[in-house]
Amino acid sequence: MPKGVKIVLVITVILFAAAVVAMFVFNRQADRKIVEIVQNGEVIYTLDLTSEKDRSFNIDSPDGGYNTVTISDGTICISDADCPDHTCIKTGVLRSETIPVVCLPHRLVIRFAEEDSQ
Amino acid sequence: MWGCSQQSPVKNASEAHTADLFAMDTYMTLKAYGDNAEKALTSATNRITELEGMLDVTSPSSDVYKLDNANGNALTVSPDTASIIAAGIEYGRLTDGDLDISIYPVLKEWGFTTGEYKVPDKQTIDSLLADVDYSRITVNGDSVTVPEDMQIDLGSLAKGYTSDAVMEIFREEGVKSAIVSLGGNVQAIGKKPDGSDWSVAVVNPFAPDTDMCIVEIDEKAVITSGNYERYFTDDEGNNYWHIIDPKDGCPADNGLVSVTIIGDRGIMCDALSTALFAAGTEKAVSYWQNDKGFDMILVTDEGQIMYTPELSGHFRNASNMPAEVISVA
Repeated sequence: MPKGVKIVLVITVILFAAAVVAMFVFNRQADRKIVEIVQNGEVIYTLDLTSEKDRSFNIDSPDGGYNTVTISDGTICISDADCPDHTCIKTGVLRSETIPVVCLPHRLVIRFAEEDSQ
Repeated sequence: MWGCSQQSPVKNASEAHTADLFAMDTYMTLKAYGDNAEKALTSATNRITELEGMLDVTSPSSDVYKLDNANGNALTVSPDTASIIAAGIEYGRLTDGDLDISIYPVLKEWGFTTGEYKVPDKQTIDSLLADVDYSRITVNGDSVTVPEDMQIDLGSLAKGYTSDAVMEIFREEGVKSAIVSLGGNVQAIGKKPDGSDWSVAVVNPFAPDTDMCIVEIDEKAVITSGNYERYFTDDEGNNYWHIIDPKDGCPADNGLVSVTIIGDRGIMCDALSTALFAAGTEKAVSYWQNDKGFDMILVTDEGQIMYTPELSGHFRNASNMPAEVISVA
């Protein structure tokens, strides 16, 4: 194989590899799903849904009461609560920046975190 | 009512600055970009608290509470309160009473203000309806008179007026790119910093844990009234929701389950989303055909989406429901 062809081949392979890595990194960033759980204005959990294990846990309200947060397949929702209206449960999984999951009676919010501030 | 506000640290001009707070019985998030964003957010949260103090019908120090307990005497209120009431009267007139800021006693009777829900008997509703009539309220400058036997609440306008007020502060501070969500009532300044439109999700009224559609907007308010937002179910499985038809004092059931209004002013979008929900499909369509100063997305109780033609290209159906464009005439 002539030297020129070899060089072109090597460069092509390097460029290809770089493109694959770049795509991977880019996609990782685009897919990053950082969410915050906020109680009474204070961020009590910051979670990356792309790497969180499936699980449920309770968050107790300082005034009594609880909300059960469930993480499943990269989604997050409030699956149970003892608030009177259950609006937080009815909202379903967090899916939009303008529609956070909110439990007004317990002052609990699950929202997407600002990408920039991470 | 008003719990707390939180602000992110200043970093650079292209970065998002956010604030969030509980106010007006809801959760609000504010996001602004640019040099003065942080200052604008502080002024905005202060302004929201100030407005809440004037408008909270349950707080004895508010203008609205004082008007409701003034025994029919004229009271001088803040210019904000006076102009919201004037707007309420105007939208009442424009929608032939489909918006009525004096429906409050009926809403209370159903328990929507306290969460102690009940289905009132017809006699009770009728006797309360006798004193529901926005046209008997008078506004003269900052002097407002609410008749003795009447009570008002500005819940159908307050958040829209508030998001307008926040936009005004942002503009004064030179903010070119910002979006706020006041309990799902969205309003934006300009476009995103990258020049693209803002994407606003609207909830599917038949499955509130999913989206009905995404609308792309810039420099607009997007406000939805839906029957899924606050409702209760009786022993027989009937649902009763919080948007009361001023004509009969019962939850408005005129063919619509969700009305989204997209327009330049939050207060208009807020007023019309409530009024046109109560009005029902036909009246909503003809109101738009005669006005055309806004866009709208209706969802009928039969699962049909209807949207105005200007939204074509900015509307993405995210549901299984068919969507059709409303004819211009």
